[in-house]
Amino acid sequence: MPSPAGRAVVPTARCRRAAAAILAGVVVAGFAVALGALAGAAAETSKVLILYSNGRLLPANVEGDRGLHEVVHAPAGRELRLFYEFLDAPSFEGPSFEAVVTAYLGEKYRARPPHVVVAVNEPALDFLLRHRDALFPRVPVVHAGVDRTSLRAREPLPADVVGVPVDYSFAPTIGLALRWHPGARRLVFVTGASALDREFEARLRVEAAAVAVRTPVEFLVGLPMPEVVERLTAAGGDTVVFTPGMYRDGAAREFTPAQSVAIMAAASAAPVYSPYSTHVGTGVVGGYAPSFEAMGRQAGQIVNELLVGADPASLRLLEVMPATLNVDWRQARRWGINDRSIPRDAVVRFKPPTLFEAHRNEVIVGAAVIVLQAGLIGWLLVEHRRRRFAEAAEQARRAELAHASRLAVAGELTASIAHEINQPLGAILSNADAADLILESAGNRRDELREILADIRRDDLRASEVIRRLRLLLARHEVERRAFDLNEAVREIGSVLGAEARRRRTQLEIRPAPGPLAVVGDRIEVQQVVMNLVLNAMDAVTGLPEDRRAVAVSVETVAGGVDVAVRDHGHGIAHEHQPKLFDAFFTTKRGGMGLGLSIARTLAEAHGGRVWAESGSGAGATFHLELPLAGTTGGRSGGRQ
Amino acid sequence: MNETPLIHVVDDDEPLRTSLLRLLKAAGYEARGYGSSGEFLLEPPADRPGCVLLDLRMPGPSGLELQAALRRRGVALPVIFLTGHGDVASSVRAMQAGAVDFLTKPVKRETLFAALRRALERDAQDRSTREEANRLRDRFAALTPREREVVDAIAGGKLNKQVGHDLGMAERTVKLHRARAMEKLGVGSAAELGRLAERLRLLSEP
Repeated sequence: MPSPAGRAVVPTARCRRAAAAILAGVVVAGFAVALGALAGAAAETSKVLILYSNGRLLPANVEGDRGLHEVVHAPAGRELRLFYEFLDAPSFEGPSFEAVVTAYLGEKYRARPPHVVVAVNEPALDFLLRHRDALFPRVPVVHAGVDRTSLRAREPLPADVVGVPVDYSFAPTIGLALRWHPGARRLVFVTGASALDREFEARLRVEAAAVAVRTPVEFLVGLPMPEVVERLTAAGGDTVVFTPGMYRDGAAREFTPAQSVAIMAAASAAPVYSPYSTHVGTGVVGGYAPSFEAMGRQAGQIVNELLVGADPASLRLLEVMPATLNVDWRQARRWGINDRSIPRDAVVRFKPPTLFEAHRNEVIVGAAVIVLQAGLIGWLLVEHRRRRFAEAAEQARRAELAHASRLAVAGELTASIAHEINQPLGAILSNADAADLILESAGNRRDELREILADIRRDDLRASEVIRRLRLLLARHEVERRAFDLNEAVREIGSVLGAEARRRRTQLEIRPAPGPLAVVGDRIEVQQVVMNLVLNAMDAVTGLPEDRRAVAVSVETVAGGVDVAVRDHGHGIAHEHQPKLFDAFFTTKRGGMGLGLSIARTLAEAHGGRVWAESGSGAGATFHLELPLAGTTGGRSGGRQ
Repeated sequence: MNETPLIHVVDDDEPLRTSLLRLLKAAGYEARGYGSSGEFLLEPPADRPGCVLLDLRMPGPSGLELQAALRRRGVALPVIFLTGHGDVASSVRAMQAGAVDFLTKPVKRETLFAALRRALERDAQDRSTREEANRLRDRFAALTPREREVVDAIAGGKLNKQVGHDLGMAERTVKLHRARAMEKLGVGSAAELGRLAERLRLLSEP
């Protein structure tokens, strides 16, 4: 059975389809209108003629063209057409050639005159200045790549001839070369034989005058290329070569400047500098020059403004194209130029990408993984250290507490300890006094004196023995873990607490097990546990009739270990106190801290053992210390050093 | 009777006891040692001057218990306590019970000898007092019971008449008894008789 919702779906889908059809119709209609408009505008084209001085494949031309192309565009609603013409200087020159070109261009562009003409470099600009009125009357001209100084020689220009001049000055490049080669003793300039080459030479001679003061300058002008190569091959290590390149050598062989530079750089035994960015890669170190691409872009922007009808005279233009330093990293390397001496704003080319640049993502991921791993390892190490510190601190705290507790016991035993020590000391003093008096008296009583000295010696040893035993209570010792005889340790407690038992008129009975019982752990701490239990038991029988004032300590082997039982005949343990018996600060004694049993339990557990209490009604209490026997250690192991 | 003082040293610690005996003998005293309170009580001291050097803490009866036992038995020897570790409570009890001194081991020779001198002086004093009392007691012992009653009444400050009334006898009989008593005791006056009776009473007080 269809649900109401299912029925409702149908009309909705229909509505949607209808809406889509309407929308499609609107879009199609819109396209048609737009296409019609475009078709109508096709008649209106903005035509731009770009006139190059040199050949089409001159690298500078190619770069400049790229920049221009990037920027130039027709005004809204118009189509852009670009026309290119090449004067092919310096291959073709002279009045007759000019006449032919003028006739050709006049004929060619009569029907479709350009709206703007771009003149690239001086020959093209000169050609236009001479023939514009005949060829392209009142068509604005944009010049590009024209040197500032040579432009100044052509002033005043007509108002509709505009452009940003270029500073082709060679001085910055020459200065750079001398800075990078402070040991240079000879500066060699190489120029060619064509008219353009002569212009290079002229500029170079002017600029060289400034540096010649410091470094001797040698010009290789208009030589045939083989001779240039020969001279450069023989150049010494103290030479620096500068060349703007040449269009034609002394043997009338033609080059693009870049080609000529490549030949020279390949042959030269000295570093070669050339200002143009297009020469970087041919073997030169580098130099300062404005980028041809930037010139192209600059010209393109001016063209755009003129195409929308801007008045050429009112344009606000840069005074000069800024120069940039272009460096071939491989050459800089070759000539021992430090990376750090290359200015940061230099365009450094042919520098092999660093690992990071070449494999950015992989490097980032790899670095991230390493950092994460290092972090994880570091964190684990820190945790490990922290845990070890915590364990050491915990152990130190327990040892500290155990020691404090032993000192407290020592305080409790002060009376009996003092008695035990003062007894031999008293005997020693009286013996010494007696000897004194005997010496004062007349008569030979040497035997008597000898007897006295023997007694003094014996009493001295007796006193020191008491003190030795006391070290068990007083000394702060390094907790150690080694096997010892539990019987022996318990017996020693008997001698430490014997005097105290006598003082309290309590009978203390020690019943060791037959044969030695090896237990592993800290002997003093184990003794402390037993001692705490014995003192507790003695406290429990205080105030009872003398025949009930007895405490018995027995050592017995039990399944899986050994049991030290401390039995008294006191009142036993009140039922309600049993659960709290081993808690810290729980006590039923006046003046008691309530730490003895809690410490006893802590120490017993640290030895893999336990303490517990049994209490019969009115028949006294028995406290047990159970420890694993050496070799059967079932509790914690190895945790203590 | 031997009049040289004898010093009794009671200490369970044999080396200490030996050293004390040695010192005392070297100083010219006569001394005897006992290993426990019991041992001392088994050998009642002969009636001769001396004192007891007593260890406070011993197995079995302690020094304080021995001191009490000696008093009960009428042994009047002065007691000096020696202890390895004195506590206030036991020293107070010892002094209250009449100890001459309470010394702590190890004890200096001068301190010990000074205490011994005091103890022996006191013993000598006690001894002479006891002898005087004994002599008086002997003289009084010669009186008949009736004479003694009359002397006691007169020593109490009563007149003959009153005494006769109290004792149920005639005043004349009282005077007779009195005269006979004065003759036996060797006194010349009733006042002298009164003083003598008072002296005996004082000496006989514990």
